[in-house]
Amino acid sequence: MNSARLATAWALFQGLLIEALPFLLIGVLISAAARWFAPGGQWLRQLPSHPVLGPLSGAALGFALPACECGNVPVARQLLVGGAPLGAALGFLFAAPVLNPIVLASTWAAFPNQPWLLLARPLGAVLVAVGLALLLRLVPEAELLQADLLAERRLALPLSEVSLLERRGGVLGGGALTAAPGRPRRPSLAELFRHGGNEFLQLALLLVLGCLLAALVQTFVPRSWLLAVGGAPTLSILALMLLALVVSVCSSVDAFLALSFAAQVTPGALLAFLLLGPVIDLKLVGLLGLLLRPRGLLLTIAGAGLLVLLIGQWINLWRL
Amino acid sequence: MNPLPLRPPLPQRAALQRGLLLALWALVLLRSSADGRLDLLLRAAFHPLVALAGLLLLLLALVQLRLGLVDAAAASERASRRQGLLLLVTAAFTVAAMALPPAPSFAELAGQRPRDDTAQEDLSFVLPPAQRSLTDWVRLLRSQPDPDLFAGDPVRISGFVLPMAGEPPQIARLLVRCCLADAAPVGLPVRWPGPPPPADQWLRLEGRMAVASGVDGRQLVVLPSRIELIARPARPLEP
Repeated sequence: MNSARLATAWALFQGLLIEALPFLLIGVLISAAARWFAPGGQWLRQLPSHPVLGPLSGAALGFALPACECGNVPVARQLLVGGAPLGAALGFLFAAPVLNPIVLASTWAAFPNQPWLLLARPLGAVLVAVGLALLLRLVPEAELLQADLLAERRLALPLSEVSLLERRGGVLGGGALTAAPGRPRRPSLAELFRHGGNEFLQLALLLVLGCLLAALVQTFVPRSWLLAVGGAPTLSILALMLLALVVSVCSSVDAFLALSFAAQVTPGALLAFLLLGPVIDLKLVGLLGLLLRPRGLLLTIAGAGLLVLLIGQWINLWRL
Repeated sequence: MNPLPLRPPLPQRAALQRGLLLALWALVLLRSSADGRLDLLLRAAFHPLVALAGLLLLLLALVQLRLGLVDAAAASERASRRQGLLLLVTAAFTVAAMALPPAPSFAELAGQRPRDDTAQEDLSFVLPPAQRSLTDWVRLLRSQPDPDLFAGDPVRISGFVLPMAGEPPQIARLLVRCCLADAAPVGLPVRWPGPPPPADQWLRLEGRMAVASGVDGRQLVVLPSRIELIARPARPLEP
């Protein structure tokens, strides 16, 4: 095997990883701060559980938490552990990487002459997030979320929201309970550091695997192959979606990357690249695997792909 | 009164292992910030963020180590087999990252990437020709594609040798917006006086611009009067 190519893959891997680690740390710190300032997460349970309003409220939280997608995973996990409605947490997970001030500003800086894109990117991100949240709601939580996350989440939920078979405590035959048991206790600093440390270390290792995969695919699949179909309406969207999966750059800078090939591709493909990357890419697969079971992960990939393809097609019909 | 929990031996304390793991990650980020490898991997705007994250991780590591030694609850937590495995894998990776610094082939990387197509309408125009960098020249030519406007202008640029399919190698640079993953090449054709240097070799060229017939019709080429082999610059990536 070509040693120059392997050396390049190793450098790409280090670049991706070292760029993503600070954002992962920011996410873990936000998550720890949420545990400290809002123990038990009562305010999270006040978020709407309506199928559409829930994801919208979760998406809106992105404005307050300016991290890109790696940092969003630990925060979304904390939302789920705190008992936030599933739709709100998923809305945050999928839309917040786009709906935050840094990403919107970088999109504007990269494409100041394309006002339609500045509107279409956040709107498209909300559509994808609501669509994915509606899709994933069809799967029971027990089959969607990872077991350890689910166990922590059930501790925060009122008993009335946990089925009898899933309860580990409470009184069988008692009246309907509406409040979470007991007053939530603020974790000790030692507990906070233990939880935050474990979370960072686990996510960092998953990030290593994701970056390794992304670097290898990028090195051995020439990017020019994907851009060769730039002018074909549907193929260009599919190619740019594949590129977004492979390239795995964070959402705060992907607009600048898109700028470098914007002239070679259709507008729908450009938007598809900017919408899909923040939801799913090779670097993120491992991280999302910490929240979702394989079935949920596959549904996310398929659902996001389909929604982004439809949005891209519609944009091409409008702009071409 | 609860009896004090039994403390496992130091190597088996979970908090100490966690502290060690966090310290290893801190080492990767701080070492990368100190040894200049970030210049090869990331755009300069991100460098302070990496160093800050390294310092924060080091602080968190020290807190964990202290907890593992003095805090009764933390010191009595025994590390699981899973955490031991995590320690081994992370240690192996961090040692590899330290022992094998990145040494990418820019020609290899640029060969698989599409050209950067952005034109810039800023200060490049007011720079005298001999002060324009390679990137300035490429962007200027995109804004003003008529080659005759620049024929005879003096050129003083540096870059690496980028092999081209079916034509002589160009002198090129990599533009990076975030990290090496989004690097896109820009290059200028050169009329080499003899056999062209090998791929990836860094050069400083002095000479003049000339008009020649190329694959895409009339184009501007660098006519070097002096070619100097140079080492890769400390900051080889351009914004």
